[in-house]
Amino acid sequence: MIRRAALLAAAAMLAPLPLAAQDAAPAPATTATPLPSAHGYQPQDELERGLWYEMAEQERLLRQSHFLVDDPALNAYVRGVLCRTVGAERCAATRLYLVRTPFFNASMAPNGAMIVNTGLLLRMRDEAQLAAVLGHEFTHFEQQHSLRLFRNMRTKTDILSIFSLAPIPYAAGMVGQIAILSSVFGFNREMEREADAGSIAELARAGYDPTAASTIWQQLGDEMDATAAERRHRSRRNSNGGLFATHPRTTERMETLAALATQAAASAGAAERRAAEYRSNLHAWWPQLIDDQVRLADFGGTEYLLSTLAGPEPDGWTADLLYARGELYRDRGREGDFASAATFYRQAIDQGGGPEESWRGYGLALLRQGHAAEGRAALRTYLQLKPQAHDAAMLGAMAAEPVT
Amino acid sequence: MKRWMTAAMAAMLALGMAAPAHAQFGAGEASAVREDFVLPQGEVRILVFRPEIRVGAQTMGGMHEPNAEWTETAKGNIMAALEAEQAARGTSLVIVPELDGEQGELVADYTALFQTVAGEAFQHKLFPGNRLPSKRHDFDWTLGAETEQLRALGGDYGLFLVTNDSYGSTGRKVLQVLGAVAGVGLVPSGVHMGYAGLVDLRTGHLVWLNGDLQMGGDVRTAEGAQKRVAQLLEEFPLRATGQPAPERAREVTVTGETPAEPKP
Repeated sequence: MIRRAALLAAAAMLAPLPLAAQDAAPAPATTATPLPSAHGYQPQDELERGLWYEMAEQERLLRQSHFLVDDPALNAYVRGVLCRTVGAERCAATRLYLVRTPFFNASMAPNGAMIVNTGLLLRMRDEAQLAAVLGHEFTHFEQQHSLRLFRNMRTKTDILSIFSLAPIPYAAGMVGQIAILSSVFGFNREMEREADAGSIAELARAGYDPTAASTIWQQLGDEMDATAAERRHRSRRNSNGGLFATHPRTTERMETLAALATQAAASAGAAERRAAEYRSNLHAWWPQLIDDQVRLADFGGTEYLLSTLAGPEPDGWTADLLYARGELYRDRGREGDFASAATFYRQAIDQGGGPEESWRGYGLALLRQGHAAEGRAALRTYLQLKPQAHDAAMLGAMAAEPVT
Repeated sequence: MKRWMTAAMAAMLALGMAAPAHAQFGAGEASAVREDFVLPQGEVRILVFRPEIRVGAQTMGGMHEPNAEWTETAKGNIMAALEAEQAARGTSLVIVPELDGEQGELVADYTALFQTVAGEAFQHKLFPGNRLPSKRHDFDWTLGAETEQLRALGGDYGLFLVTNDSYGSTGRKVLQVLGAVAGVGLVPSGVHMGYAGLVDLRTGHLVWLNGDLQMGGDVRTAEGAQKRVAQLLEEFPLRATGQPAPERAREVTVTGETPAEPKP
């Protein structure tokens, strides 16, 4: 979020609408004007042209960002899910950017540029959840929420500026100003609710399980609790942020989405989750995603996140997740953590199908415990499996038998 | 995440309504030339990095509303004025083209680095308020000698420009008058700021920097853009010995293409 904030700070006013913190207007557009998702759509007025122009500049910078994930396979997969969710024709109006940022968020600009953080990919359990997020962002785009938000803010700040001059009693003036200011944020929350509702409709139409959307907020809320408990401060889960919250509170979103999903499920046919497809498409990126997450030094939140992804069943702990847990414990390195880490890596290796990096972590954890010979052997196994590893030279030195 | 967004939006509202940039830095303009720096005699080729030009309207409430047409017009006007101005100084401008791949990233990286370094120089030396004691005497910022790689684009110096204009809308001007009448003090109308800098690509040194938070010249017109460019290039480094420019035709080239016809 911070990095994205920096990236787009220059266009703060035009910042794309992010998923986890923001915005809808009264009823969806009812006029006969074309939707932005229509083929060949062009901005309809001076303001929209201006916003598109500005966003095109920002997009230009984004394309050259070092945080952009340029792996064609991962891009093709996420784009494929978007197109499956909203249909090929509407999908053609968007451009998707995957940004390497270890936080849960996605955003949508008025000109069709969609940004998805890698931290979001880590947190999705299946393809249906990813589709729910993409459908939510797409609704922001199609319903022109950025444009409507800008107009709304323009009108209200105009009124505020008059207020600041009007000779009215100070207290009354303050109350009026706060009312208008908070109505900007209220408008924002309305648009978020509209996008949430839109995502359910898209899921049902595409044959994804519409209940996927509410489980995302359940997971996110629980993760916030876990992080807060670890850091000994109040969870932000149930805070509604008061008058100036940009998004509806998490618990409310969850309940509303669940209710909408129940209605949608009644009429929908197929309700796929596609968890296996999701995991296999993320496989190559898994060690990287875990590495970025572990570096946040949020042990409680990460531990919770991993156990959520594993689910209640013992066999939910896949090799990918066991590897991740090993990385987490090895990174913390408190009393007993290296032993726990070595156990998790060993389980990942025995189960098979996880990242080869399990051998690397296993070896390093054993070395830290003082099991020198086994540790060196594990590192050598890793180097046989991955001779091109970026840290092969260093690991090679560590794996060599000492000269006697 | 919610907090960030809330804070950002509140800040945008507050900033838009109250504080133009000069409230932060104090009014006026500032420029500096690295000690003893002069441009050499003979041919001087300057790479012009894609200028960052933003033009829009300031709404009654103080928000910046981007305007695509004004921005396009301003870009053309400013580039034309810049070419004329530099031709008069006897330097050749080389426009850095749109590049893909590694070279594109290199250009983007250095453009961003320049803006960061220039921002530091403005904040800690040129504008009062945050001046660093260690920078009191010297103007010695640098982008590092690896700027040498950029010379492959066809120039020995890099020129960077940033302008940001928000023209007061009718509503804003009415508010300004009302503010004066009501006696609540000055309601600022319009934001017009810009800065430019020159980097010696052999050393990476920032050799000249000039900024103004209340610039003149309406960049939406050719004449206004000439005035703006003249202001942006105030205190531009002189040629060695201050001799008049050599008498020869000037040219403007775009790398990757054949040189343009010399201007008459």
